Amino acid sequence: MKIKVSGWNLLLFICLLLSFFPLVWMISTTFKQADQIFSEFLNPLPRPFTWENISYVLNAVPMVRYFINSLIVAVLVTAFQLVTSILAAYSFTRFDFKGRQFLFYVVVASMLIPIQVTMLPNYLLISKLDWLNTYAGLVAPQLANGMGVFLLRQTFRTIPQSLYESAQVGGAAEWQILWRIAFPVVRPTVLALGVMFFINVWNEYFWPLLVINDKDMLTIPLALQLFINSEGGNSWGPMMAVGTLASLPPLIAFFIVNRQIVSSFISTGVKG
Amino acid sequence: MNRMWRQVRPYAYILPALLPLLVFVYYPLVQSVQISFLEWNMVSPNPKWVGLANYRDLLASDEFWLSVKNTGFYAVFFLVTLFAAPFLAAFGVTRVNSRWSAFYKSALFAPTVLSLAVASILFLWLLNPVIGVVNHLLSLAGLPGVNWLSDPFWSKWAVSMAASWKLFGYNFIVLLAGLLAIPQELSESARVQGLRSSWGLMGRIVIPLMSGTLIYVFVTAIVVGIQSVFVPVEMLTGGGPNQATTNLVFLVYQYGFQFFKSGLASATAIVTFLAFLLLIVVQALVMDRRAYYEN
Repeated sequence: MKIKVSGWNLLLFICLLLSFFPLVWMISTTFKQADQIFSEFLNPLPRPFTWENISYVLNAVPMVRYFINSLIVAVLVTAFQLVTSILAAYSFTRFDFKGRQFLFYVVVASMLIPIQVTMLPNYLLISKLDWLNTYAGLVAPQLANGMGVFLLRQTFRTIPQSLYESAQVGGAAEWQILWRIAFPVVRPTVLALGVMFFINVWNEYFWPLLVINDKDMLTIPLALQLFINSEGGNSWGPMMAVGTLASLPPLIAFFIVNRQIVSSFISTGVKG
Repeated sequence: MNRMWRQVRPYAYILPALLPLLVFVYYPLVQSVQISFLEWNMVSPNPKWVGLANYRDLLASDEFWLSVKNTGFYAVFFLVTLFAAPFLAAFGVTRVNSRWSAFYKSALFAPTVLSLAVASILFLWLLNPVIGVVNHLLSLAGLPGVNWLSDPFWSKWAVSMAASWKLFGYNFIVLLAGLLAIPQELSESARVQGLRSSWGLMGRIVIPLMSGTLIYVFVTAIVVGIQSVFVPVEMLTGGGPNQATTNLVFLVYQYGFQFFKSGLASATAIVTFLAFLLLIVVQALVMDRRAYYEN
């Protein structure tokens, strides 16, 4: 028995190495000098510690501008997706109306349609609106999210009808019931979803690749491409520095709400 | 007035979510089908109606069948790295000391929050033939180095590894959720009745009881994996060397945005979509039969 348990430990340790090794090395290489990157690439400790890769990146490209671009898009999309998801999920659980089941399926089934099928028409529409290379062009196609409606509906359903009824008897308006009574119950899910949306948009590659070609409008994932030299001879220090900078916001967001994310996955994830 | 608002209100609450989905998901889906019947370069004012010619050309092209073959490779690869491996890891977490399991949960999930673009540049570096860590470790083990990104055979492995690294944690957590939902008493009573080995427990109790999650992750591993590998392919290999890393998703992008064959691109997109849909429908049917919907 004892041997078997440590067998699982060994397996997990290998998984841990494979998961963490690249991450740790990216961060440590960020703070290494060029000659150490070549001579001691297995040594995780930067000796001496240097900011030169970071400062190189900040000077070589308008990195701050890219950060702001990504931040604006991620915050806007997250806000829109949360608000539209909360309203729709609330309606689906609170009201009884004609076509409720059908409309719910329409919203949720949108998750099954991959971006490859919609990108060409959406690109044409965005370019007709003259929204290429704009925040509007990046944000517009993702104002709503079927996944958000689905997961929030699961959470809203845990609210007992009696809670609504007593609020109604007390004379509260529907709008107040939603924000004062129902919203506090679903707040942890909203927080976890918000972080998930933010991270997803921050990391998004495909749609920005199509809509953005103006150098000033790049988002962070597209900016990473600027550091790949297709002829070879990449400068690894700056490249890892840009990777570290790109990863900071999602990593920070993750560590702040780590527990909620993991546990909300565990409670809302598919069961059985 | 008040009465009318009561009638309309449920729809008014749904509209902000529904409208964008109709405009940016469902309507473009219909348009894609229309475009797939056209010969068009995206800018010309006079697209030509060609019926099913795009589908015929697609099925007759070598590129398409090469992409199908590569997509098959990716599907198998991701079933190993995004289905089998995270399942074993999740099962392992339930078998080790609980003090460690909390740590493993966060640590294995962490790479999932990073972007595929970051995963791509990381693996570009790890797999570099000269200063990459992977080849260095191979040489320590006495194995010859590999030109990961320029070798027609290994390049598929390289881009798949980058995508797997990013996606592993998500599937791990979903599978762990499925495992933790299995009532503790069942595993206990199995143990009392003499089922002591991990493999026995897995085969008799765990796999049958979480088959819904397993099917879900099986399909997600393939569909999400094939879509995600687009990023390392686009960033690191451009579909090469000599089309070795292309797949259906990348082919849609190439036809549409590099060769400006909008009709052919849409036909490829529709075919890919139907293949994914088939997988998802099979999954839904199997899950539905097992009555795992909570309603």
